[in-house]
Amino acid sequence: MNLDLHEKRIPIIKIRDFLIVSIQVDMHDKLAIQLQSQILEEIERTGAKGVLIDISVLEMVDSFIGRMLSGMASMAAIMDAAVVIVGMQPAVAITLVELGLEMPGVDTALNMEKGIEMLEQRLANSEFL
Amino acid sequence: MAETIVFEKAKERIEHIEDVLSSVAAGDLDVRIEAEIEDDLTGVEEAINILIEDLTYELKQSKKMREELEEKLSKIEEQQKTIMRQQDDLLELSSPVTKVWDNILILPVIGTLDSQRAQIMMENLLQKIVDTGCTMSILDITGVPTVDTQVANHLLKTVTSARLLGADCIISGISPAIAQTIVHLGIDLSVIRTKATLQDAMIYAMRKNKLLVDGKIKSENISETEESE
Amino acid sequence: MNEITFDNNWEQLGTYPIITEHDIVKVRQLVRHHAKDFRMGIVEQTRITTAVSELFRNMYNYAGGGKVLIERGDVEGKNALIVTCIDEGPGIEDIDLAMSDGYTSGQGMGYGLPGTKRLVDRFEIKSEKDKGTVVRVMKWR
Repeated sequence: MNLDLHEKRIPIIKIRDFLIVSIQVDMHDKLAIQLQSQILEEIERTGAKGVLIDISVLEMVDSFIGRMLSGMASMAAIMDAAVVIVGMQPAVAITLVELGLEMPGVDTALNMEKGIEMLEQRLANSEFL
Repeated sequence: MAETIVFEKAKERIEHIEDVLSSVAAGDLDVRIEAEIEDDLTGVEEAINILIEDLTYELKQSKKMREELEEKLSKIEEQQKTIMRQQDDLLELSSPVTKVWDNILILPVIGTLDSQRAQIMMENLLQKIVDTGCTMSILDITGVPTVDTQVANHLLKTVTSARLLGADCIISGISPAIAQTIVHLGIDLSVIRTKATLQDAMIYAMRKNKLLVDGKIKSENISETEESE
Repeated sequence: MNEITFDNNWEQLGTYPIITEHDIVKVRQLVRHHAKDFRMGIVEQTRITTAVSELFRNMYNYAGGGKVLIERGDVEGKNALIVTCIDEGPGIEDIDLAMSDGYTSGQGMGYGLPGTKRLVDRFEIKSEKDKGTVVRVMKWR
């Protein structure tokens, strides 16, 4: 079976007010940008207030994917949704730091559970605003 | 009347002496001069034989010494290898990451911190953070007097990497010398949280933890604490 | 600048083209596979894989593609994994500028070379305007 990778879509699941995106494949640049658009469209379509991007399977995050993830967080914030990146592998964290990509301003959590806690906390706090 | 020195078969014998000396020079120490005739030349012939004997003996001694030295050398090399292996083992053992209290990890570092050790420490700590899901960790370097810029960079890398994972890493016990090294590196100090002593770091971590626990909507954490009591 | 030579007695592990984006993914996975064969730890594997990903993307984005040589060789007494990226693109005008940290800050544009260099044990680059670029990285730990 010949899969045209340009049409491969990464599944986005909605749970309560949040979107969960689990990146399971080694992405090339086009796919990464496609994912970014996909997520923003879903935020608009569903009115989700938070997005959890699970990268626990990713063994490598290069500068492009790193910038895609940061960009994702900024764009979602403009659409009033918070992004939390969960499950980063230690080797990936070390390499990103060495590359000089420290992604300031991007929320991260050790795992899905903590990521959801973080988003719920944020939602609870924002209700007072 | 002058004494006449007569050597029988003088020419032959002198040639024979020359041959033997050449052989010795070429490395053959088994040759000897056969002195069959007793006359004035015999003294020289026997002296040369004795010389060759002495030479043979000296060379044997020298060879023996060389062999002993080589044996000692390979023993020392073996010992060095063992020491290096033990150092590696020590590296592993000397920086254990321990979970103390709920959600707090401590990594106490003692002794000289070189680049290699710092690298291993960083990888161990980050992996432990992911494995245990602890969001607070304390890197205590009270036992480390100085670090070079490479190691200081590793420490900062550890803190930044921990943050990227979604956890906090506090450095405690920074000596004045290390404080100077860090500042000279010109790093943005707002990115690292430091505490003077391990005790201060623990109190800070526990306070922060309590906030997290109390502010939590779910009650799983509270029941976990009860279980561990 | 040291010359990058090609007549070394190194063991050839493969030559691969980088023409499509899928090639970037495929070849960097191959590099990780080789790094595993070299018994490198996870962190070292990730470092070299990330480094070559940056280089492959540069070739794809700026030079219209290129080719990658993967080799094994003895370098300074160490068993080294060597990846050489060769393209016939426009070349890098100012290598010193490209290698300085300031060039890649901000939007993160540029070639990402200083970061890439930090990830590997040896980094060599040669580039000539309108002729192309050769970048060679090595990893042995």
